Amino acid sequence: MTALLQVEDLHVWFDLGEGGELHAVQGVDLSLQPGERLGLVGESGCGKTTTALAIMGLLPPSASVAGRILLAGEDILAGGEAAMRPHRWTDVAIVFQGAMNALNPVRTIGDQIVEALELHARAKGAAARARTAELLEAVGIPAARATRHPHELSGGMRQRAAIAMALSCDPKVLIADEPTTALDVMVQAQILELLDSLSRDLRLALVLVTHDLPVVAQVCDRCAVMYAGEIVELGPLDALYHAPAHPYTRMLFAASPDLAALDEPVLSIPGAPPRLDRAIDGCPFGPRCDSVFAACSVRPRLQPVRDGHSAACHLNAMVPA
Amino acid sequence: MRGIDYVLKRVGFALVTIFVAVTINFALFRLAPGNAVSNLSRVPHATQQLRHALEVQFGLDKSKGEQYLIYLKQLVHGNLGVSFENEQPVSTNLRIALINTLPMVTLGTLFSILIGTLTGVLAAWRRGTPTEAVTVSSALGFYSMPTHWLGLMLIIIFAGVLPTGGMTNEFLLNPGLWQHLKDLASHIALPSLTLGLVLYGEYTLIVRSAMLETLGEDYILTARAKGLKPWTIVRKHALRNAMLPVTTLVALSLGYIVAGAILIETVFSWPGIGRAVYEAVLERDYPMLQGAFLLLTISVVICNLVADLLYFKLDPRITE
Amino acid sequence: MTDASLLIEAPTGPTSSRRGLLLRTLRHRPAAVIGAMILVLIGLGAVLAPWIAPYGLHTQVGPVFGHPSWRHPLGLDDGGIDMVTLLMWGARVSLVVGFAATFVSMAIGGTVGVVAGYFGGATDTILMRITDYFLVIPDVPLMIVVAAIWGPSLVHIIIVIGILLWTSTARVIRAQVKSVRERVYVKRARALGAGHTRIVLRHVLPQVGPLLIANTVLTVAVAIFDETALSFLGLGDPSRTSLGKVIENAFERAAISSGAWWAIVPPGAVVALIILGCSLVGGSLEDALNPRLRVAHLAARTFRIRPLVGRGDAL
Repeated sequence: MTALLQVEDLHVWFDLGEGGELHAVQGVDLSLQPGERLGLVGESGCGKTTTALAIMGLLPPSASVAGRILLAGEDILAGGEAAMRPHRWTDVAIVFQGAMNALNPVRTIGDQIVEALELHARAKGAAARARTAELLEAVGIPAARATRHPHELSGGMRQRAAIAMALSCDPKVLIADEPTTALDVMVQAQILELLDSLSRDLRLALVLVTHDLPVVAQVCDRCAVMYAGEIVELGPLDALYHAPAHPYTRMLFAASPDLAALDEPVLSIPGAPPRLDRAIDGCPFGPRCDSVFAACSVRPRLQPVRDGHSAACHLNAMVPA
Repeated sequence: MRGIDYVLKRVGFALVTIFVAVTINFALFRLAPGNAVSNLSRVPHATQQLRHALEVQFGLDKSKGEQYLIYLKQLVHGNLGVSFENEQPVSTNLRIALINTLPMVTLGTLFSILIGTLTGVLAAWRRGTPTEAVTVSSALGFYSMPTHWLGLMLIIIFAGVLPTGGMTNEFLLNPGLWQHLKDLASHIALPSLTLGLVLYGEYTLIVRSAMLETLGEDYILTARAKGLKPWTIVRKHALRNAMLPVTTLVALSLGYIVAGAILIETVFSWPGIGRAVYEAVLERDYPMLQGAFLLLTISVVICNLVADLLYFKLDPRITE
Repeated sequence: MTDASLLIEAPTGPTSSRRGLLLRTLRHRPAAVIGAMILVLIGLGAVLAPWIAPYGLHTQVGPVFGHPSWRHPLGLDDGGIDMVTLLMWGARVSLVVGFAATFVSMAIGGTVGVVAGYFGGATDTILMRITDYFLVIPDVPLMIVVAAIWGPSLVHIIIVIGILLWTSTARVIRAQVKSVRERVYVKRARALGAGHTRIVLRHVLPQVGPLLIANTVLTVAVAIFDETALSFLGLGDPSRTSLGKVIENAFERAAISSGAWWAIVPPGAVVALIILGCSLVGGSLEDALNPRLRVAHLAARTFRIRPLVGRGDAL
């Protein structure tokens, strides 16, 4: 079965001025089946947001991209911005961080949803307004709020409105970039539940980008862990938690007190991620790894460990197959 | 009504400012030592009758405190004294002058806003290209030129092509409406062009800055994600927010507009308020100078108020 | 809900020192470099005028409005005096007036700004109200009125301009002082019992310094413009030849109808260059101090595509 969305060998560089370059994404491969929920986790600066944006071609002018992004088998990256634009919203849609100013403050939320509907010829005029009301209700917002401006809504409501807008043109993939960050706990749970149920009801594939592991645990089936611009482990969520194949994954889960056992001390990972504006020698996690050994001076590649579970760590090569 | 207290606050502030200006005016002219400046009745070649009338009207024989109150009262009645130069009431002279100045200044300001906005958007859109560099450099270049010097340069360039002095051609006898309008248009061209060129640079920089900032906002990324075409995004989402500072800028450049008007009218012999100031200085016509200063200040304060309220209305984010 | 990333130390970035900021700005921004070069060039010409001016300032070397020639590249003015000489001496006077007036306005504006920002409360409100009134009342007409009444002299002109330019400085400095006052080290100094003067001198001023310099440079530009305007309207000091006076002389003696563009274009061009130089330097400094760098999400340019990297490449 061809994957709904396939990312192959994605690289993203950012101009730093004065000749320098930041290699933000270093050879990422992903595949997404219809209706699948994939988590993309890592700390700030690991490249997960950049990867998410690259899938839709939402990179700034200072960026350069290489790789293939296949939507139902067709490479949409090759043609640049112009080739990617027709697929936005109708094939892949995105919801941004709640704290961001993702909705235009001087226009009503209803207007902004109608804009999407009319742009992609789903509805016009009164029909568009009616459809907008339906969408708002579907995410739990009273239809009357369509005439409000974003700043008149609470953070949670704004996120719901953004989700409604994202679903307005029936995309097959929804990318959610830190959708619950900066929302309070109760609201977070509601938003995640909403995403979960929408994904099931609409058979919507979900890419959930976050640094917050419990979020992933609630909604996702599979998870990719990113570090220093590359995927270091990829597999079913259970496997990642119970049998992580990369030290970073193990330490990440141990550092999250909700998931760690209650009587174990909360560990922090000492050190800092490597700089991405220069070439990295050997394993990028080496300097901070508690299991580093001689082989780690060669940069590891993502290798299968078990069925549907791969990791980029030399330790796995030591385990007898 | 939303924000009625904001409106009241701003109107109150405007009134106080006018009051401060009026008081400064009085202090400068009437409290100056010696008689030359403060004596409103010293109209050269005036009749004894006129002198006496002025002395009574302005209470020139009373104490300074009383004079101040009388001054305020006369102000409310629109009496600004009599011009030393042509023995006409100052208010009449100023009224005619103001009517002559307004079209020229309005045209110049509109021109500067239009050109400034277009070049500002262009510079922001073509960030990092030579177009941006050229646009910004021209804006800075014209902005740095002394207003009167630019006027003189335009005269040098356009002498013979466009009239370089006055508001109308006095030798045109009994012109028809169309001829009269053409005549006015050809005379207003250079003065308003000068004003426009000197002012537009600031708008370019502000609009470019505001546009760049707006284009960095998250909702622009959302608009792009929705599949909107770039120019549509600029038009429907960015332009409005990028234009907000323009209203504030108009208010801030009012001082510069007034200075420009004075210098331009002097250079082009345009019979407006600016030239009235110049001639009043030349002729030591103190009542006219006083009156002109007051009128200019009040105009600026009122325009400021209007710009304030307009900005408030346009930006729904201001909730105070 | 703990965020795993918070438990991981963030990498430290380069720290910026305020003192080095000036020099760094000048080196890295072409606009600032060009501006500085212009100012240095004109400044040198003005300062060295008494020694390097080709002719005497009051020496008639030819006819009224003599044409430009090899010996007089910019021709002669209405008194037969060499224009190049006039320009050098004129720049001297204009720059002196510009700097002196700026000094006056900086002293007033800086003090008002620091006092208002530091003490806050009623002092702040009163001072800012006064500042607001002066901000709204148009400068040039008031300057004209005061100069007309007071009489033309260099000192009068300097004071008149200085008295009206302080308002924008006061606002800018006040805002900066307010933000500095809230910083931890200032609060610590207060807690330790440091006196106000000490805190202002040792903690507030160094932070405010660079902004003050940027503002000063921009004010010089305005001061020079104002002097030019006042001279043009006949309110300049008749005994000193500033660049504005040179233009005024030419205008009065009908240089244009005589076709003597060289009496008008060069002096104004020098003024324009001085103002441009100040704007470039001051503007660049302000930009450098204002960390409002934001990535534009949209521009005419779009992101670029590169060829596939492939596996096994050295990254």
